[in-house]
Parts: sequence; structure tokens; C-alpha cells
Amino acid sequence: MDALTLELLNGLSLFATLAIVALGLGIVFGLMGIINLAHGEFVMIGAYVAYVTHANGLSHWLSLPLAAVVLFVLGACIEVGLIRRIHRRPEVTILATFGLSICLRQAVELIFTREFRGVPNPVPGATRAFGVLFPTYRYVLIGIAVVVVVVTLLAFTRSRFGLTVRAIVADRDLADACGVRTGIANFCAFGIGAATAGVAGALVAPLGAIEPQAGLAYLPGAFLVVIVGGFNRLWGVIAGALVVAAVQTGVIHFYDAVWAQIASLALAVLMLQLRRVPVEGAAA
Amino acid sequence: MRFEARGLRSGYGSVPVLHGVSFCVAQGEIVALVGRNGAGKTTLVKTMIGLLRATGGQIRLGGSDITRVPPSRRVRAGLRAAFQERSLFSQLSVGDNLRLSGLPAPEHGRVLAMFGESLAGREAQRAGTLSGGEQKMLAAASALASTASILLMDEPTEGLQPSNVELLGDALAVARQQGRGVLLVEQHLALALRLADRFIVLEKGEIVDTGTAGEAGLADRLSGRLAL
Repeated sequence: MDALTLELLNGLSLFATLAIVALGLGIVFGLMGIINLAHGEFVMIGAYVAYVTHANGLSHWLSLPLAAVVLFVLGACIEVGLIRRIHRRPEVTILATFGLSICLRQAVELIFTREFRGVPNPVPGATRAFGVLFPTYRYVLIGIAVVVVVVTLLAFTRSRFGLTVRAIVADRDLADACGVRTGIANFCAFGIGAATAGVAGALVAPLGAIEPQAGLAYLPGAFLVVIVGGFNRLWGVIAGALVVAAVQTGVIHFYDAVWAQIASLALAVLMLQLRRVPVEGAAA
Repeated sequence: MRFEARGLRSGYGSVPVLHGVSFCVAQGEIVALVGRNGAGKTTLVKTMIGLLRATGGQIRLGGSDITRVPPSRRVRAGLRAAFQERSLFSQLSVGDNLRLSGLPAPEHGRVLAMFGESLAGREAQRAGTLSGGEQKMLAAASALASTASILLMDEPTEGLQPSNVELLGDALAVARQQGRGVLLVEQHLALALRLADRFIVLEKGEIVDTGTAGEAGLADRLSGRLAL
């Protein structure tokens, strides 16, 4: 029973991590139809923000809003300087964001070198709950991730901005012809997508090594979540993260991590076949 | 505010559709644009709102050249279109469609009531689940609910039952009384003859005839043009 509880908590932790990492990807893909291959690098830069915050003697918790601000500005600059010029050509955005991911990795390497960095766990130790000991920081991570994801989704579904976003997703040309400032919505969406990735990076920073290639590890998982959850419904990110986390945790429990990855990929392929959604995304 | 097209040219890719169209719509008047299928009426509306690029000529609104201005800025400058197809957000609710026109929620009931009982009290319903005629009425209501000075209505009566055509006509007449200008694109003459102050006949992307309400023999002449 304790082993099952522990697996459930591990699954919950994985779900929270996947959801917050995939959220930005879901926003950018769902709204703008852009497959952002640099999304993992946004997560990696968020982790570096946590590292710099710690290196300057500041609280780790400060790194969360800092990462949001830094990545919002970076994402907004990328939208203005690059994405805005090519966003109606999906195949070009794939190549461009792939190139961008390399540039971002190299830039971080130039600044911080390839040396592995780390951030100490701000909440060390474990907490006994439901009969098992579980790292306290992971409880905190689950709580913060859930709050960030739910607040972001509510902002996109309940606010006036959210309404304009849903209008753009439904029909970009008609939204334009109704006076919706699609350019500003794109700018904000890319910025918010990058900002949530930054928060995710800062949040997971204490759990592993921080290095320029770290973002590569997050990209496949985020895409799996978005594919499984659906392309044009942001709430699908939660459903996708839940399903992927359940599959991975379950397969790891009975087999191993390799089979878990295979099962997740098979699930993604199945979902793509069932939906038959074109690669260029739902917003197109 | 005056809306004007001067020598407007447009088309799809390398296929030209409009060949130098010129006309104007002033505030407080309804101008009917009539023509048969394929005359270029919808192309003209899409070009005027900015969804299609003008390949020549000028579009002016209130004295300013808006030919190269994106659609959203044209709308904010006072222009609004209701399209023949894809005229509303079918995945959004009736209320959300009206909110996107800038109409606050407390006003929704009043605007929907302009179109009789069929849309009343259905703000929460998904627009895509309305009947074809109700969707056309909602699209017209969304355009009329905006604060635009100039309305471009592309075949708003298509698929409407006669009683709703009457209601729509009344709503357009009210818009004229409010000082708004309306370009009413119609293939069927009855409503146009009832409402319009002036007429433009479009044929193969060119204006081939014009007329003024009350002109002798106008109805027969327009019918003849459409029947050719």
C-alpha cells in the first residue's frame, strides 16, 4: 500500500512538472499555431535565473517572479524580432525556432560555460503524509505548479484577453476583421508562454543539474502533453499532463523508464492518428 | 465620416476580380450594392475591410487613406463588416460574439431583442448550435452592436425567413437614423429597394450602373441587370 501511495505521489509530482512545462508550449501552439522548438531553452534559462538569484544571495522564491519577468521580456523580444515575421509559415517557424534553440544554448554557454550549476533545495527534508515519506519540496512544487497552471488557464478563459485569444484560435481573420488586435495578442501570448516556461525552469532548478543542454530534456515531454491533451484547448494541457504522467508512472512501476518513454510515444502517435490534426496546428 | 473606394483593384493571387471600382458611402445613408453571383461583391467587402490586399486604387475613411492599414485598425477607425460566410465565432457563445463587438453584457438583451424572440435569452448558447438563419441574425446583430460609423453588410438576408428580413431591415433603418452609413450587399432586390438611398450594380468586377431611390424605372432596370 505504501509503495502504491509513493507511486501516486511520484505521478502527481510528474504531472505538476509536465503541466507547468507544457503550459507555455500549449499557449504558443494553440493560439499562434507555432511549434516552438526553443521552448526547452526557455525552461533552461528559467533555471539559470534561479541559479543567478541564488548566487547573489537572494531567496529562491524570488527567482520565480524574476524568471517570469525575464522570460516574458525575452519571449516578447523574440516575438517582435523573429516570430512576427514568419508566424503564418509553420514550416519556417519550425526551422527558425530550432535555430533559435541552438543560439540560446550557445549564448548561455558563452555566459555560464558548460559547467554544471546547482541550486540548493530551499525546503530540504521529507514530510510524512498518507503513511509515506516524500520530499517536502516536491509537495511545494506540486502546489505552486497547480496554482500557476490554474491561474494562467483562468486568465485565458475568463478574462477579456482570454476571449480575444479564443476568438483568434477560432478564426484569426474574422478576429482581425472584428477589431481584435491579433498582433498584440500574439505578443502577449508568446511572452506569457515563455514566462510560464521560465517559472517552470526556476521551480525545477533545485531538483537537478543546471547546464546549457538541460532544456533538451523538457521539450519531448512538453510536446507529448500537448499532443495527448489536444491542440486548441488549453485545459487539454492538464488532461494531457495527467494522462502522460499516469502512463509513465504506471509503466515505470511495472517495467522501466525506457518502456515508459515508448508507451508515451505510442500514446502520442495514437492520439495524432485519432485526431488527424495537421502538423501546422489548430490555430492555423 | 465618409467611406470611399477610388479605382479599387483586387483579386485572388494572380486572378484579378475587381477592375477599378469607385463609389462612396456617406454617414446616414444606405447604399445597396447589387450584382449576380461572381460579380465580385464579396471580394469588394473583403478588400474594403482589409482581408484581401488591394492591388490598386485607394480606400479612404473619413479623409484618411486606409488602403494599407490592417483590418483591426480599420475597425477601430469606424468600419465594420458582417460577412456572407464565416460571419461569427461558432465555438464561442452568443454573448461572447457580442462582447467581441464591444457590447457590454447588460446590453446584450436589448440588441438581441431587435431581432424578435428567436435570439432572446440565448446569450449562453454556443453560436455554432444556432440555425443558419439565427447565425445570420447574430452576425448582423454583432455588426450593428458595434460603434462603427460605416457598416458593410454582405448578403445579410441570405437564408432568413421573411419576418426576420423585415426585422433586419428595421434594424438597418435605425442604424441610418443614428447617422451611420451602410453598404448593403444584396442579390435580392426587395430589401434593397425598400431601404437604400442609392444603388450600385457590380458586374464582372466593374460598376456598370448606378441609381438613386425614387428614380423612375429603377426597379425594372435593376431587375433586368440581375436577370441577365
